Amino acid sequence: MAKIELCNITKKFGDVVALSDVSLTVEDNEFFVLFGPAGAGKTTLLKTIAGAEFPEKGLVKIGGQIVNHVEPKDRNVSMVFENYALYPNLSVYDNIASPMRSRLYRKDEAYIKDAVDRVTKMMKINHLLDRKPSQLSNGQRQRVALGRCLVRDPNVFLMDEPLAHLDAKLRHFMRGELKEMQTSINSTTIYVTHDYMEAMSLADRIAVLNKGKIVQIGTAQEMYYTPCNEFVASLFGEPEINLIPAVMKTEGGTLYLRMLGQEIDLYPEEDTIDELTAAGTGDIHIGLRGNDIRFAFEKPGDDWFEGTVYANEPIGNKVIMTVDTGDCKVALTCPNDTVAKLDQKVYIRPNMKNALYFHGATKEFITRNNKARYTGKKN
Amino acid sequence: MIEGKQKGIKGILEPVLRNLGLTLFAMFALFPLIWMVLCSFKSDAQMYNTVFVFDPTLDNYQAVLVGTDYFKAFFQNLVVAGGAVLVTIIAGVPCAYALARYNFRKKEDVAFQILSFKFAPEIMVILPVFLIFQKIGLYDTYLGLIWVYQLITMPLVIWVVRGYFEDISVEVEQAAQLDGYAWYEIFFKTLVPLIKPGLVSSALLAFIFAWNSFTFPLILSGFKIQTITITALRYIASDTVHYGQVAVASTIAVLPEVIVALFIQKHLVRGLSFGAVKG
Amino acid sequence: MAQLTLKNVYKRYDNQEKKLFRKKKINDFAVKDVSYVCEDGEFIGILGPSGCGKSTTLRMIAGLETITAGDMYIGDVRINDLHPKDRNIGLAFEDYALYPPLNVYDNLAFNMRAKKKSEEEIRKAIDYVAPLMKIDDLLDMKPPALSGGQKQRVNIARAIVRRPGLLLLDEPLSHLDGKMRQQLRQEIKRMHHEIKCTTIIVTHDQMEAMSLADRIIIMKDGEIQQIGTPLEVYDDPANEFVAGFIGEPPMNLLPSVIIKNQENFMFTFEGSDLQVEVPKKYRDVVKDGMKVTLGVRPVDVLIASEKVKSTPVPVAIYENLGDERRVSVRVGEQLLSMTTTDDVYYEPGQKVQLIFHEERTHLFDPQTGERIRG
Repeated sequence: MAKIELCNITKKFGDVVALSDVSLTVEDNEFFVLFGPAGAGKTTLLKTIAGAEFPEKGLVKIGGQIVNHVEPKDRNVSMVFENYALYPNLSVYDNIASPMRSRLYRKDEAYIKDAVDRVTKMMKINHLLDRKPSQLSNGQRQRVALGRCLVRDPNVFLMDEPLAHLDAKLRHFMRGELKEMQTSINSTTIYVTHDYMEAMSLADRIAVLNKGKIVQIGTAQEMYYTPCNEFVASLFGEPEINLIPAVMKTEGGTLYLRMLGQEIDLYPEEDTIDELTAAGTGDIHIGLRGNDIRFAFEKPGDDWFEGTVYANEPIGNKVIMTVDTGDCKVALTCPNDTVAKLDQKVYIRPNMKNALYFHGATKEFITRNNKARYTGKKN
Repeated sequence: MIEGKQKGIKGILEPVLRNLGLTLFAMFALFPLIWMVLCSFKSDAQMYNTVFVFDPTLDNYQAVLVGTDYFKAFFQNLVVAGGAVLVTIIAGVPCAYALARYNFRKKEDVAFQILSFKFAPEIMVILPVFLIFQKIGLYDTYLGLIWVYQLITMPLVIWVVRGYFEDISVEVEQAAQLDGYAWYEIFFKTLVPLIKPGLVSSALLAFIFAWNSFTFPLILSGFKIQTITITALRYIASDTVHYGQVAVASTIAVLPEVIVALFIQKHLVRGLSFGAVKG
Repeated sequence: MAQLTLKNVYKRYDNQEKKLFRKKKINDFAVKDVSYVCEDGEFIGILGPSGCGKSTTLRMIAGLETITAGDMYIGDVRINDLHPKDRNIGLAFEDYALYPPLNVYDNLAFNMRAKKKSEEEIRKAIDYVAPLMKIDDLLDMKPPALSGGQKQRVNIARAIVRRPGLLLLDEPLSHLDGKMRQQLRQEIKRMHHEIKCTTIIVTHDQMEAMSLADRIIIMKDGEIQQIGTPLEVYDDPANEFVAGFIGEPPMNLLPSVIIKNQENFMFTFEGSDLQVEVPKKYRDVVKDGMKVTLGVRPVDVLIASEKVKSTPVPVAIYENLGDERRVSVRVGEQLLSMTTTDDVYYEPGQKVQLIFHEERTHLFDPQTGERIRG
């Protein structure tokens, strides 16, 4: 149980800057997710907190105390490593018991047995206690690693992609287990992932990292509905958000947008106009998610955009249709019984209520409809 | 409907032929050893007959073992070779760890330098070493021999064990740190069990090399310290060579090696091939 | 252009270690009794977990493995003993296997030059294929300079440049990361749409098979479990394995005991108070005390707004994933999850009543895994 503070952390590996001037505060008891693409510096940041890596610059504080020079073993942190880092020579039981047998966190064997029983049941690995890590599948190893982490009662849990190597099915269930467990974990948790669903599901707050820098910190809802730039917008959601270049014009006091090279005027919502005007550019990118575009095979009206079906991919509970409009391709989510032939004509219409507006040159977020509704909202 | 192919004569003959070939090769490889043992039971007169049928005699054994300082030499050889391996482990394992884990300037050069000690012909090194040892009083001492044996044992152990350390992910050590273990506990409880196969096999191999060393003790020891490799020389008299006695001295000298080799043979190949025993 | 027919095809690998005294006959087949007809121009996906025999099947079609038993035809020609090069098959593996010293153009031309085609013919063929796979800008580059996705495009282009009768793809996308994968997936589909060549793709990724194939063959332990269109295998799975393998998030599969409660049959679950009414269509096949595995997809579990015949249970997990929301309840040891796109928040602990989509509630035999139909 502790608050974690990082102040201006910079870390280089040779000439490669892994972290550059990263500052963030993780509140006591918070479930905090570090999210970003591969090579963003997430793992390095986690190891900096653990004490396995030393920052060139900056302060690491755990519970208000500067721990830059505190040995990892004295920081009382518990970590899941991405490559499991199990002790190959020890059985599953001994692996999980290991933290409770060190001089620092010593517990008696009866206590250890109870604790190991508890976590192995939770992780559904209680039938594997005598096996060595080499006799386990990757999914089982990952759960052992998770068990070894959760068996303790540390200042902070650090989890590096704990579900990454599981297959989709198991990942779905383990994510559920973790989410349910959250309420019983009375500790600060910092969780690294590159899967947006894990991030959105588990996090109290998310920090998006890219190239060693923090891009945005906020709740899952803020990330999804009010991303600070196009990069963040593209990380959340499946299919990826459509970012459609548009031209913004004002004629006779009305502001309208033209996109996809077609002569159809789109009118932004009332409450976005001031900020759109203030952006001072006519070059706007409109962010539209797959759910926010309607489609029809017969032309319903003159204000529908025309395109052809570029791809039509059923993925079970929905169909992802990619529409080629000449200028760019637009992906939309359709009901799972949608049947379309390739290159068939299709008409689409965006729902401007959910459109996100980005600055065409800087890719920064400008505004969206009803913005205030999504700030600070957790669920 | 779905039958496997007929095995036929080929299927039976193949393993028979293979085993026959292996047996022949084993005999070929073991012949010098067998011949040596046979020689040790021959009298000097029969020595030059290349026959397998002769009157075995224990005279040679009596001449070598009874009332001589052969066992003293045996013991001294044990001390020198064992001491050398011990020093190698104490100094070499941390050295291997450093070479595997830390990045410092010219790391690969240092590692190669260590290996290159093994390239140098012993006879080339030995003269300057002899002169220095005489000056600083290490000539004909345990310490001197143990020291110089490091040239033989150290590179082997460092290179094998380094490979093992490189195979252990850094995260395992980090995990142990976070579990609350101090560095020495991590080293002995986590790392040592993992490098054990490599350490044991390379140390035993190093022991064999040290045990067999001839040039170093020949020049660097005199009367106080005698290894059995040197003792065997003694049976080459001015007028004749007592091959039988040389054979006895050698047979007994070889015994520990054979025992060691039998003991480690299973682990040897596996242990020396880097990283073959991943968890 | 060709129709491919497999008739009762078996494959057994000879045990590598030939023991002098073999105790018993090894009788495990990598592929067991596989039969199907792949129509001319069809796109077939062979889907299954690792070790299910899907790659072996593909390699037998290509002629890289011998066929232990059974027959294979392309058109009317039996190809069992035909040399791979005479089968007119294009192959693209997971690994790119391009010749590094040759540029992309020469890589594509390599095979045709070996067959002594004229340079003009070769150029025409490449000019046709390159834009299909979007590699027309890369023709002068050498393989080491290409990204993984580009290499795989070249690899597939090389397989189709000779216009084979049959195109075989073995996990072509599994090396690529998310976005590249999605793009190439679309382009493979479009390429097939353009050249209409009979194509078989082997994959372990159900999403890939669903989005690419006209029909999917699902295999497990060397045996075919089901053959059908993506919608068929999704909506109408033949057994529990197919039901659990297809679909993301996965189908809820819960062991259940059916009890008769006055007039109605109800699903009950060990360690849970939850009771849900059995759909009417199963009325004739279920009986009191029968054990079944209940299968229902997360999208087909709904939270009732009015009173229904099901026990209220507390919400265990609520996840807002932006595109959709997932709600899960505990049923004994297991989680029963549902997805919804409605923007409603359910507090964990809050009691909800569940109903299952009648038409899309499946029953499976808990022993054999076979589907019980109503």
